[in-house]
Amino acid sequence: MRLTFHLAGINNQNFLMRDEETGTYWQQINGLAVAGPLRGRQLTLVLSDELTFAAWKSEEPAGTVLSDVPKYVAGYARRDWDVRMKRAPTVIDFPEHGLKARDLMLGIQAFGASRAFLYDQVIREKLVKDRVGGEPVLLVVGPDGESVRAFRDRIPGVDGAPDFYRMGGNQAGAGMMDAATGSQWNFQGCAVSGPAKGACLERIAMLKDYWFDWRNYNAKTSVYGR
Amino acid sequence: MLACLAVSLSAVVYPMYVIRPFRTQGARELAAALVVMRWRPAITVISAVLALAMLACYWRSQLRRWRRVLAAVCAGLVCLLAALARVNVYELMFHPDARPAFRAASQVKLDGREKVIAVKIGGSARAYPIRAISYHHVINDVVDRVAIVATY
Repeated sequence: MRLTFHLAGINNQNFLMRDEETGTYWQQINGLAVAGPLRGRQLTLVLSDELTFAAWKSEEPAGTVLSDVPKYVAGYARRDWDVRMKRAPTVIDFPEHGLKARDLMLGIQAFGASRAFLYDQVIREKLVKDRVGGEPVLLVVGPDGESVRAFRDRIPGVDGAPDFYRMGGNQAGAGMMDAATGSQWNFQGCAVSGPAKGACLERIAMLKDYWFDWRNYNAKTSVYGR
Repeated sequence: MLACLAVSLSAVVYPMYVIRPFRTQGARELAAALVVMRWRPAITVISAVLALAMLACYWRSQLRRWRRVLAAVCAGLVCLLAALARVNVYELMFHPDARPAFRAASQVKLDGREKVIAVKIGGSARAYPIRAISYHHVINDVVDRVAIVATY
């Protein structure tokens, strides 16, 4: 059944949606039906990125972009909306790991675990090598110095840890190289030269969210570096 | 009549009280408020029909004018609440983009530093500028013949 969703309410500062076909209420952060006839059902997550328009356009020049609705443009957010919102109060807080309620996190739910990474820390480090649920993962900052993607840290068909490092140190725009094959990799996680050319790393879904919201829905989350 | 007014008023006000921004929502009260929200269009219509029927009876049986006026005001309020029960306050604050339109990336005048939420399904790539989706919050879309909802 195809559902048509509407903004319908808020649950501790995370929106609720209502579908007009069944009247079910769905939690925005995880697509879980929380009330109504489809309660307990889960929407399928579509892998998405949060990128700068320039980074996305360079990868997808034939892509299409949601148009503004002219009569509502005056109400649209200014750039860095999520950073500006850091001043807004929250109704719940989890003062753990030395984090503030509105610290921006990158959250991963994968391999039976959830783990959060402080966005500013990832941007500083440019390439984060870590484990989620015992599985090695990579967080890679894009050429624009703002966009981040997560990958499983395994090269298909290659045994052992690839041991990625940034070429050109931590400069913006630097690509990656892996020590196992000596191949060069781009921000899309694909080898562009070397023995692994053509191979792509497995993408991992990641959500940019405020700490209070991520922690509210991931009670057992661990935090990178804390 | 007063019972109809109380029921309709509760059906409209209780969810608004519980589900409002900058207030903590407890799990049980939220569940109760969502049940009320789901059924309140029907509840308030039944209440309004009953109130109007009672008004008709009352009008014939009561000769005192002020009592008739009071009953009419009560019935009017119940009807007004039935209309209010159909208003989505959140879509008044954040107007939906009911018919989202899309343009080729090459034709879009958008600052390169603006953030977008991007998806790729099949061979189709779609970007939702955060400046827009953080206002509308919900975009019902079809990408490469797959129905999705983009939400922020």
